[in-house]
Amino acid sequence: MTAYLSDLKVEIETFLYHEARLLDDLRFEDWLNLFTEDMRYWMPIHETLEDEEFHDPIAGEWAYMEEGKAFLTTRYERLKSGMAYSEKPRSRTRHFVSNVLVEAGPDSSVIAHSNFLMYQGRRDKSEQFFVGRREDRLVRDGSSWKIQERKVLLDHRVLPRAISVFF
Amino acid sequence: MTTVLRDAWSTDAESLRRLVDPTRGIISARIFNDRDIYQRELTHIFMRTWSYVAHDSQLRNPGDYVTNFIGEDPVIAVKDADGSVNVLLNSCRHRGLQICSTDRGNARLFRCPFHGWTYGRQGQLVGVPKMKEAYCDELDKSARGLIRVPRVESYRGFYFANWDENAEPLEKFLGADMRWYLDIPIVGALGGLEVMGPIMKYKMKANWKIASENFAGDDYHVLSTHGSAFRVGFLPDYDLVADYIAYFENGHGMGDIPKPGRMLANDMGMVQALGLGPEAVAYVKAFNERLRTRLSPRQADIHGIGEGNIFPNLSWIKFGCFHVFGLFQWQPRGPGEIEVWQTVFFDSAAPQVVKDYARMEMSQENAASGIFGPDDGENFERIAEIMRGAVTRQTNFDYSMGIGHEGEVVVEGLPGKLGPHYSEQNHRNYYRYYLELMTERGN
Repeated sequence: MTAYLSDLKVEIETFLYHEARLLDDLRFEDWLNLFTEDMRYWMPIHETLEDEEFHDPIAGEWAYMEEGKAFLTTRYERLKSGMAYSEKPRSRTRHFVSNVLVEAGPDSSVIAHSNFLMYQGRRDKSEQFFVGRREDRLVRDGSSWKIQERKVLLDHRVLPRAISVFF
Repeated sequence: MTTVLRDAWSTDAESLRRLVDPTRGIISARIFNDRDIYQRELTHIFMRTWSYVAHDSQLRNPGDYVTNFIGEDPVIAVKDADGSVNVLLNSCRHRGLQICSTDRGNARLFRCPFHGWTYGRQGQLVGVPKMKEAYCDELDKSARGLIRVPRVESYRGFYFANWDENAEPLEKFLGADMRWYLDIPIVGALGGLEVMGPIMKYKMKANWKIASENFAGDDYHVLSTHGSAFRVGFLPDYDLVADYIAYFENGHGMGDIPKPGRMLANDMGMVQALGLGPEAVAYVKAFNERLRTRLSPRQADIHGIGEGNIFPNLSWIKFGCFHVFGLFQWQPRGPGEIEVWQTVFFDSAAPQVVKDYARMEMSQENAASGIFGPDDGENFERIAEIMRGAVTRQTNFDYSMGIGHEGEVVVEGLPGKLGPHYSEQNHRNYYRYYLELMTERGN
């Protein structure tokens, strides 16, 4: 079995639960502060391929999201503008984070794996669930952590709707 | 504007003409929510028009295939040994199973998992298990090949298929006027266009025509729907982006056409502002020079094109040479739902820094997680969701913008029926052709 770090598990879990709470509480600016300045966020497209032709998503191909902190900040500015109609009124989300496994990463970073299930409700009864997993590289930030790289792997091939909230 | 309130109605030509009145710019909500009209669209529109299925760069080697849809019919587009592309109905001739359940791949044979019937790349039935014991060698395999879509043609590497054997050639359906604009990104690409990755797919609760007409020439919605993008400086002032719209025969239309000279200047400014480097500066110049020599000085003056819709449901977008050439298939899934399939292309010979910029920019803009796409989706959903009401579902929608003012915009050397930035002339043109197909006899 892979050498998972048990001593950091609770700390990393708490970090990820806190992160989910910020998103559900619509504290987007605080959520952004959990990422390093040079962070990268990658959410590739999941294809349906024959087993023999299966491959992991390829970095550098057209993806759902492929951005750094600058654009994530632009997204936040957009939400504040009052004209982001796909989030006006704001969605109600509930992130469930589980199956947290922590591995040692390069240069005293850690790689945190987590599964997520997120409910999104909009207006009266427009509702969807999104499901997938994340692979995060976390680096030390004082007594806490920051996310330097996030890879979000959705399990949907055809998304239930367009994405206006985050994982 | 009076509403047409009637309980009993049908899909015959006379009824349809009362629901769709392009001349006066009045279209009934019915055509966006009625099940019977939708079923008629599947036969009268999607079985008679050219549907995009695949691109050359997805079918490089014999056996390469992609799966797609024409209306709600699943098809396989597969490259044959001689380089031709066959488009086959993805349904086994025995019990109708979807044979190929992957997005793409390479195959010599397509095998149905149910009873093991196996087909070749031309759809021919080559393998039937237990042919002797089960069928006594009596089964006529030649009569049970996969149903082939009879017409398959390519326009500069973009493959379209048509169920109508007597359809006019693809080039003629697209028309010389619209091709004048589409050639700009397609021929301008120094190394030819290639796909940049997998097809992005997501559901949207919308009628397929609402999305199609939006790209066909609704520049009016941009300032409101996409106002947040201007607010955060993602887009320059809309008046600095584009100037005209244009419609063409066969229901096609486009918007955000920049006046001559504008788009090249925008790109030159952008490359400096973004600091993409000397490679990118050289690229803009090489791209524009290629347009000037391969196409025409006028096409080079336009440089950028805009966004548009190829009837019935293939939209595209292309803003300058740092933008992907993005296709949107609004795949119909009932009157109130679509699957949006987005394929993006770029110049295979562009510098990597330019490719990376274009690809990432499109994800951020008109895509599933973009700051443009979801806002359009939100609007379309709010239409589809309320179309259940007895009154709501038969009110009239207004398409009158610009009536009486068509033909006022004339720009030398620009083909198509031009219009001002804000007009619904392209919508009316779209529904004129829609009505023509819907009121024709037969299936």
